[in-house]
Amino acid sequence: MKNLATFFSIFFLSFFIFSDQLYPGLDEQQLKRLNYLSDNIRCPKCSYGNISSSNAPISKDLKEEIAQMILANKTNDEIYDTMSERYGDYILLNDVEKRNPLIFLAPLIALIISISVVTIYTIKKSK
Amino acid sequence: MKKIIVLLTAVLLIALVWFFALSLNVPKISNVKTQEGKGLPSGFELLKLNGEKVDETELNKGMVLLNVWASWCITCLVEHPFLNELSDTYNIDVIGINYKDKLGDAIKYLDKNGDPYIYSIHDYDGKYALKLGVTGAPETFLLIDGKIVKHRVGEVNQQVWDEEFSDFF
Amino acid sequence: MIFVSSPFLRLDFAPVNGADLNPLLQDPLLAIHPPIIFSGYVFYAVTFCYVIAGLFSGFSKELFQHLKIWAGISWFTLSFGILLGSIWAYYELGWGGYWFWDPVENISLMPWIAGTALTHSLVYSRDKLLLSWMVFLAILTFLLSVFGSFIVRSGILNSVHSFAADPSRGIFLLSIFAAFSFISFALFIKNFTKMESAWPKLGSRNYLVVLNNIVLSGILLVVFIGTLYPILTEVIFRQKLSIGPDYFSQLISPLVLVLIALFTYEQFMSLSKKTIFKLSGLLVVLAIVLFIVLPANVYLNLIFSFVFLVVLVIKAIYDFKQRRTLIQPHKVLGHFSVALMTLAIIFNHNFSERVDIRISPGDEIKVMNAEIQFESIDIVAEQNFDSVKANFIVNENFALTPEKRIYKVGGQIISETAVNSNIVKDYLIVLGDRFEDGSWSAAFSIKYGIFIIWLSAGLLLVSMLYGTIRRA
Repeated sequence: MKNLATFFSIFFLSFFIFSDQLYPGLDEQQLKRLNYLSDNIRCPKCSYGNISSSNAPISKDLKEEIAQMILANKTNDEIYDTMSERYGDYILLNDVEKRNPLIFLAPLIALIISISVVTIYTIKKSK
Repeated sequence: MKKIIVLLTAVLLIALVWFFALSLNVPKISNVKTQEGKGLPSGFELLKLNGEKVDETELNKGMVLLNVWASWCITCLVEHPFLNELSDTYNIDVIGINYKDKLGDAIKYLDKNGDPYIYSIHDYDGKYALKLGVTGAPETFLLIDGKIVKHRVGEVNQQVWDEEFSDFF
Repeated sequence: MIFVSSPFLRLDFAPVNGADLNPLLQDPLLAIHPPIIFSGYVFYAVTFCYVIAGLFSGFSKELFQHLKIWAGISWFTLSFGILLGSIWAYYELGWGGYWFWDPVENISLMPWIAGTALTHSLVYSRDKLLLSWMVFLAILTFLLSVFGSFIVRSGILNSVHSFAADPSRGIFLLSIFAAFSFISFALFIKNFTKMESAWPKLGSRNYLVVLNNIVLSGILLVVFIGTLYPILTEVIFRQKLSIGPDYFSQLISPLVLVLIALFTYEQFMSLSKKTIFKLSGLLVVLAIVLFIVLPANVYLNLIFSFVFLVVLVIKAIYDFKQRRTLIQPHKVLGHFSVALMTLAIIFNHNFSERVDIRISPGDEIKVMNAEIQFESIDIVAEQNFDSVKANFIVNENFALTPEKRIYKVGGQIISETAVNSNIVKDYLIVLGDRFEDGSWSAAFSIKYGIFIIWLSAGLLLVSMLYGTIRRA
């Protein structure tokens, strides 16, 4: 009888704990991961934006799927790979510098060159 | 030195204008990588609307046309008469994927608007469609021997059919 | 407009009572945002005209006067338009975001960046220094405005701002852009010798402005590449890829700090090199101490921006005490606002949080150190929409009532966010979907520093307004 009572109280207690969250079963760390990953997956049905800030049903489905993958102990890379395998690179918003290092470096290089050239020229002219 | 900068800038400007003129005339490619070249998702126990199990080996043989639809989907309603025509007039076998729909609503919809499908797979939570790469309704897939050869995102009408699907038939 | 995109053509099947205005446009804030931005572009056309006139008939003091006023009016208008869009996005789109690096946002940002560099280049034009920079920037700002109109209206871009796309309009606008670009470019080259002026001395204010222009151009280049590269890959390589916000913020954030360092340094330029060196050393030490002392999740650039802001404030107070007045108060206020806004933005990114909840009417939950009570759901019929209102009470203190509106004519469903603001943070709730058991999903966020962002933007606008009016 006592065991039954314990069982039911744990059951209902966990119901209250889990019913707060939209993604029951994820702990705080995992939820942070979910938010982070969702911020970096583009909504396939929207003009622009990630699945975090989208009302589209597909965004919610994808977020749910990512939550399940987190629970299944998949790594971030595995999750990104699943998404890009299904929808194409288009869906990834993160790590632009890894996939296209040139567009990351181009402005930096341009800046360094311009500032150096201008500074050297100014020093020369001052002499 | 100055001449080089001038020439470079002129070339850049011309390239920019040419590029944008080009981009205006280039056909848009679909946002999401279409699923062409892939197979159907595995590991699902699919049920028809009438409760029977779906024989997945059938789906992987020959020419199969899959249409994703739902009773709440307005564009599906617009597309529906054409699907009726496909199945009646052209005798083409269409299998439906009923996407995120309640059984009662789906059956009522088919009763009211006609049932062009041999049967419809009841994908209640949309998880099968999700793995298939579906992002909404309506969408249509053409498979040959289990491989997706055409994926249309959006409605199918006479024009779309002529441009994208009729060659296969 | 008459030939390419006439609004007077007849529709074959005209909706009898009209199709209703897009629900998003039924907000006064959003309705006014595009006209103001476009006015900003138009004013930059005036600035452009003055500059071209100057190329032909020389840059007199009077011309500079007009230029400074018009550059000020243009910048003020464009900034105001962009700010309105940002405010609207925050209160209406629901996710507590005020800037998304969305392609069309970026398109309006580019002339703004060039316009900012232009404003700075005009400051020392009385001595005809930086004349070629100034002319170049005035032309560039105008060309970017025309280019912006082309990109946005031609259907090339996909974004939240997807307008009615029309390729023939695109060709027309592109031709206008091409014509203006080539003509301006030719005029600039032809008159280049007329614009030659003394090169700034190393370490002088003009030199700082040149550096400022280069860094701003760097930021402009980042926005340009980030916005147009996806189009490039689609057209040339037939691939689709996306460039997310991280690209922009990771590159631009340090550059903004460099700009802040430049204008902070400017305030101390009258001091000896030794003193400046010592002060900088002191600041670096302070930054390191803060970095060690503060928790690990505090961003490094937050620390830097805080240090710069403190320095600016102390210097301003010191100057005021010494002279009983501030030299060029609009400059001091403007730069202070930029530093404050940067701090608030970084703070916002560092600490804001969001949680997805599922809650039924009558429930009370505790998330992110806040108590949320879901009191009730009301369904109300308004004139052109039906509204489902969810009544929440937060911390037994204030109410948040997010809504879902169903527009009667078009059938669109729009989510209305509920926001409660105070100086430090904002609480937001966005209503999600109803589950079969009567519970609702919702997104609950706490955003920091939003009020300060709007305040500093307002101060920045005021500083420009004052700076422009005092010339008139």
